[in-house]
This record gives sequence, structure tokens and C-alpha cells, in this order.
Amino acid sequence: MSSIRIALLAGLLVLGGHVLARGDYEAVDPSGQTVVFWHQHGGVREAGLEAIVARFNTENPYGITVVAQYQGSYPEIFQKMLLLVGTPDAPNLVVAYQDQAAAYHFADGLLDIRTFLASERWGFDPDDYADFFAGFIASDVNQVLGGQLLGFPPNRSVEVMYYNADWIAELGFDGPPRTPAEFEAQACAATEQPFSGSVTGAASLGYEITLDASRFASWTFAFGGDVFDAETNRYTFDSAAAIEALTFLQDLFARGCGDIVTERFGDQTNFGLGQTLFTVGSSSALPFYEGAVEAGAAFVWSVAALPHTTPAPLSNVYGASVSITAGHAPEAELATWLFVKAFTGREAQADWARASNYFPVRASVAAELEDYFAANPAYATAFELLEHGVSEPAAPGYAFVRNLVAAEMAAILDGADVASTLARLNDEANRILIDQLAEID
Amino acid sequence: MPRPAANTASAPAERRATPRPGRRRAPWGEWLIGYAFVLPATLVIGVFGLFPILYALYMSVHRWRVRRGAFVGLEQFERTVGDGGGFALFLAGLAAVALGHWLWTRAYTERGGWLRAGQVAAALTLVAAGVALSVGFGSMQHAGDPRFVAGLGRTFFYGAISVPLQIAIALVVAALLYQPIRGRPLYRMLFFLPYVTPAVAGAAVFRAIFSPREERLANTLVGWLGIDPQRWLFEPRPVGHLLFGDLAARLGIELTGIWAGPSLALLVIILFGVWTYVGYNAVIFLAGLGAIPRELYEAAEIDGASGSQRFWAITVPLLAPVTFYLTVLGFIGTFQAFTHLYVMRESAVRGAVDTASLVIFDTFYALNDFGLAAAQSLVLFAVILAVTLLQQRLFGRRALRA
Repeated sequence: MSSIRIALLAGLLVLGGHVLARGDYEAVDPSGQTVVFWHQHGGVREAGLEAIVARFNTENPYGITVVAQYQGSYPEIFQKMLLLVGTPDAPNLVVAYQDQAAAYHFADGLLDIRTFLASERWGFDPDDYADFFAGFIASDVNQVLGGQLLGFPPNRSVEVMYYNADWIAELGFDGPPRTPAEFEAQACAATEQPFSGSVTGAASLGYEITLDASRFASWTFAFGGDVFDAETNRYTFDSAAAIEALTFLQDLFARGCGDIVTERFGDQTNFGLGQTLFTVGSSSALPFYEGAVEAGAAFVWSVAALPHTTPAPLSNVYGASVSITAGHAPEAELATWLFVKAFTGREAQADWARASNYFPVRASVAAELEDYFAANPAYATAFELLEHGVSEPAAPGYAFVRNLVAAEMAAILDGADVASTLARLNDEANRILIDQLAEID
Repeated sequence: MPRPAANTASAPAERRATPRPGRRRAPWGEWLIGYAFVLPATLVIGVFGLFPILYALYMSVHRWRVRRGAFVGLEQFERTVGDGGGFALFLAGLAAVALGHWLWTRAYTERGGWLRAGQVAAALTLVAAGVALSVGFGSMQHAGDPRFVAGLGRTFFYGAISVPLQIAIALVVAALLYQPIRGRPLYRMLFFLPYVTPAVAGAAVFRAIFSPREERLANTLVGWLGIDPQRWLFEPRPVGHLLFGDLAARLGIELTGIWAGPSLALLVIILFGVWTYVGYNAVIFLAGLGAIPRELYEAAEIDGASGSQRFWAITVPLLAPVTFYLTVLGFIGTFQAFTHLYVMRESAVRGAVDTASLVIFDTFYALNDFGLAAAQSLVLFAVILAVTLLQQRLFGRRALRA
């Protein structure tokens, strides 16, 4: 046998072993591997993450070493990853939103985590797996990519309505609004009657909205609809619920009871000053609202589900997950998964929730957070909304579609016809989606 | 006057007698040393200048979404500007502007019967150029990517308003700073400061100044003038509509397209560009002013020329090479402008400030369509090249003569 044939055979064996290993990690030994983890957490969150990583590095029985590296904001990480994805230079683990993970999939750059979950040796046992909030893991299932699980959630946030409880009482209402009609009544009353404790001379306002696709989705969910049909794998921005939701907001704005946010975090600032009665945003901003109120009008405030027409409040649950990159040795891939498994374990989740103010992804962690709930009642209220969480689509190109949604929201709130604007938006969004999917094998 | 015959006769003989330096066969050592000297620059230009352009060309002829796909030839260019006819017509329009200018100047050079005929030909050519630019642009917008072509239009607006303003204000500032006034170095530093201020920080300050809130600086100032608070960076409507919308409606005129002007949001961003670059341009102008011989001013003064006459008859013409340099750089800079546009753009204006560079960025990072983004980049490159050549044609020779 010639040396070329021997080399070819050896190459095929190596390749075959690698392919086999990617589908079957049962016999793989992760000992001594180093895992590079790119994340966007800074400040207190970074310190909390470092502590979790240090404990894993000390306690894991395989001698795996995780190196957590701050690599800038989400967009910065995404831009770096686009150049490295699918190459050995990519980190083993990376923070990624669902649409970013879908983009990495174009280069076959991520592993399908279902492989690890299905492993008898390395996956979760059924009881342990049942502890996860089902909706959280479902948000990482990429329907348009054949149901692949391209990320795994270490944390989530939920979209909530922030309200000034003192002002609502002054206006003569019993409590925060539960329906859109109640919301409109309170918002318009607040526009007429400023908060007595306001520390700004500017005109009062019922509701300030950020032009953002997540706000669009949240209001659509609240009206009983969705922005994506998982069966047809198409956007549904022009559904009856979306039209109803945006018409409601348009009317609210036409009456002068709402306005768009015009400065970075201007809604938080105005809320803290006692100028704005309601805002809607991520629960991860709870500490920032707390700071704004303390530095501002110092009133009693809390959070609640968005006013809804559905029997139970359907809340928009979102957050970046962690994705395991392809192109590394099976041993390193397995070691990466073992860190993800530890990161989403009960103990680490409790620590991470305290450090990050994100929500844990396991229901049982609530028991370990009783003292934290007591100290942070708004956090506890928001935690209760997770039960009925729904997610935005994990579709490739969603980042671009989000820009389109924000622009069309602006047009509608400026008075454009709701139905025709949303129909045009939906056509454009689906055209982009089809164009993206055309390139996936 | 006949030229001396001896000169013409002796020229070939001289050429024969004196060997041309290029023809001399240099020893290998000299060749190697010569190439060694140019090698570093060649490598830098090749790796960081030519290779990216060639690689962009390679990407643009492939479907390329994060990873390379099938070869598609010119499909991405067709998606960008249509079948090419509109783009070619647009470039022909730019060329016709240059031709019209040449005919016009030629007519004045030749005088006599040429003058009237040349003027007529130039006027007709310029009309044809306008039609070609308009039809070509419309065709690209219809058959190509409307986002990109509209972005290209905004880029032209941005450059056409921003660059002349920058140059004019900088020239005045430089002329003032050239006078023997007290605290001149301090003023020079103050005017130069915006240029060295990080674009993101400067843009963030502009965002605060031009916030739609009534109590912010810009609205406070217009309030003193009796004008209602404006939405500034959140205003997608064109300036023409805001200023003359009521009047136009009363007259039954509809202001659209180029006649409506840029959006108020884009105008604020143009203002930021002017604020940033005036100081830099002024410093370059100051260097140019230092090179103008004092004797010219003294002679003009003796002849009784006033200050403004000296400025227009000496300063402006002799600064023409500097003005040309700054104009070319300014236009290239505005066509490539990105950071402050990115920081100051808002969803509320529905893309009204998205210039070509922002559209390319979105195509690359939000749509992940690398191939299309590369094609768009090359089209922008071609446009910048054409505009630069046009400027060279219109102003370059005159500047060199000066």
C-alpha cells in the first residue's frame, strides 16, 4: 500500500471518528480540556459569573478549565463571531440571541444541543430536566431550522409594565390596569392630572413607548396573538390581534395620552421623576428603575403584566442563550456542554439570579431565592409571570426585521393606516425570511 | 514666429548622444535595492488597499451569507442597481456634467464665433446631464434595491450640503484666525477641538441638544425666536415641507423628492458634520494662507484694493489647490461617513437618515448578506470614484494652475 493511500485512509478514519463523535459523546473523555467562553457581562454580573466559573474550575472532576472572557456588547460579539464562526479560532461557548445563533448556523458553526440532552451519560435525568421552565428552552428551538436547539438558556427576562402606584391611587383607581381599557383610562387621567410628587415641571404623560419589536410583540401577545406562526414558519405581523393592539396604541397616542421615548432610557428617567405613569420594558431593568425612582420622586412603584384581553397574561420572555460552537475536538465540545450543564444547575442558577437580577431557568430555584424575593418584591412579582411566558421568533434575519417593525410602529403611531402598514410590514418580513431560508441546505 | 531650425535638427542627435536613464541596464544589486525600498509600501498597499477591494469583488459575485455559496455572476449588482442601464445612465450624467463644463470653458477660451455656439452646446449638454442623472437614478430606484438607492440619494444630499458649508465656514474662520488677534492659538485649538473629539461622544451631545423635549437647548433657542418646539432627530419630514409646506399647499404645489430637501433629522446630522470638520479644514487653510506671498497683498494694498477685494482676488484664487484638496477629501469623507450617523439615527425617522454606508452595514450585519453588501460597497466605490473624477475635471486643473 502506497504512503498516499495510507495517509488517505488515516485521514478518513480521523474524519469518520470526528463525525461519529459529533453525534455520540458517550465514550468521549473531556478531561483536561480548556473552554473559552465569550460573554457580554460587565460589572457585578461579570463578578458573579467569574465566581461561578471559578467554582466549576475547582470542583469539576474532569479538570476542565473554563476561561470566561468579556468581549464587548452583544453586537460586538456578533460582529467578531461572524468572522470566526466555523473556524477553530471561534470560542467554545458564546452568548447569542436566537437570531444570531441562526446566523451562525449558515456556516454550520453551532452544535445542536439536543445531542447532549439525548445522551444517557451526559444529559439531564428526566426529573432534573422537568425542573426547567419549558417555555425558556422552547424559545431556543429554531423552528425554521428543523427544530434544532442552537442555544441553551442560562437566564431569561420578561417584559413587564412598570407603574407608579402612588399616582394611580391619587387618580382614584384601585390598582394597576388589567385590561387595555383600564390602561387607557389611567394613562389619559395621568396626562390630565400630574403626579403630586413629580420633581419635574414638564407636562405629565400616561405612557412612554420605545419603538422596538419586543414592545410590538408584547402588545400583540397581550391581545391574544403572535408575531410568528410556528406551523407555517412565517411572520404574522398583520394578524387580527396585532392590528387590534396597534390600533389601541394609535388611539392612545392620538388622544395625547402616550408618546415615544426620545432619549436613551428616557422612559426610565421620566418614570423616576414622576412625569410618566406607565412604561413597558425588560425585568432586567428593575435595578435601574429602582435607582431612577430613588434619585427622582421617591414614590411607591411596582411591576405587573401588560394589560391583556386574554384570560391569563401572556408575557414576552426573552434573553440571550449560550451556544456551543462547532469545529473543535469532541472532547472540548463535551467539556463545554458540561460547563453549560453546571451553569444551569440549581446552585449556580441561584447565585447567578442574585448577581445578575435575571430570572433563573429552573422553577425549583425559587425556593432558594425566598430572601431575595422578600428584599425585591417587584422581582418576585415579575417571576410569577414566567409561568405564561411566550417568545419572539428565533428566525435568521430577525435583527433586520426588528428594525422594520420599529420603523412601522413609528409610522402607525404617527397616524398611518394600521392594517395596510402591518400588511406591508408582514410581506417584507416574510420576503426576507424566505430569502434567508433559501440559503440553508 | 518660425521656430529655430537648429533646435529641431539637434534634438534627435541629443537624444542619441544622451542615453535615457530607463534604458540603462542596471546591475542586479541596484535592482534588488530598488525593489527592497518599494516592497514595504507595496505590501501595505497590496494587503490593506488592493486585497480588500479584490476580495469584495470576489464576494460580490457569490451568494455569501456568512459562508460562501454559489457563483452568481452579476446578480448582486442587479439586485443593487437594476440591470445596469440606470447606473450607466447615472454615470453618463456625471460625465455629461464634466463635458458641459469643458464646453463652457472652451467657449470662453476660444471666444469669437465659438462663444455662442459653445454656450449653447454646454447648456444642452448640462440639460442632458440633468435628464440622465434623474432618469438613471429613477431607474435604479425602480429596478434595484430601493433602500440602497435612496441611501445613495441621501448621501448626495449629505455631501452637497455639508461639504460647501464646511469649506465656506472654514475659509472665513481661517481668514479671521490669520489676523493678528489676541489669543489666536487658543481660538485655533477651540476650533480644532471638535475634530479630535470622539465621534460617538460628540454625537451623544448632539442627541441631547437636539432632543424633541421642549426644555432642551435647540428647542429653547427656537422658542426664543417664536418657533414651536421641533422633533429634530425624530423628524422624518423633509425640511421643504416643514418650511414651505403650508405655502406650497396653498399654491397647489407638491414638494417631493429633491425639491423637498433632506429630512430635518438629516439636516441636524449634517450640522454635526459641519461642526466636526470646520476646525480641521480651517487648520489646512491656515497652512495655505501662510504660503501666499505677502508681497501680493502689499502690492494690492498700494493699488488701493480693499480688504474684501484682496480676499476675493488674492486669497480665494491662491487657496484653490487647498480648497480642491479639502473638497475632494470632504466628499469622500461624507460618502463614507458612518459613526455619527449610526449613533444619531432613530427608528422614528423610518430610515430618513440612512445613507449608503448605513444601508451597507445593515445588509452585512442585520441581513447577514455579505455578497449583496459587497456589491453595494463596490457600487458606492464606483460612485465615489466618478464624483472624484468629476471634481478633478471641474476644479482640479484650475486649482493646479493656481
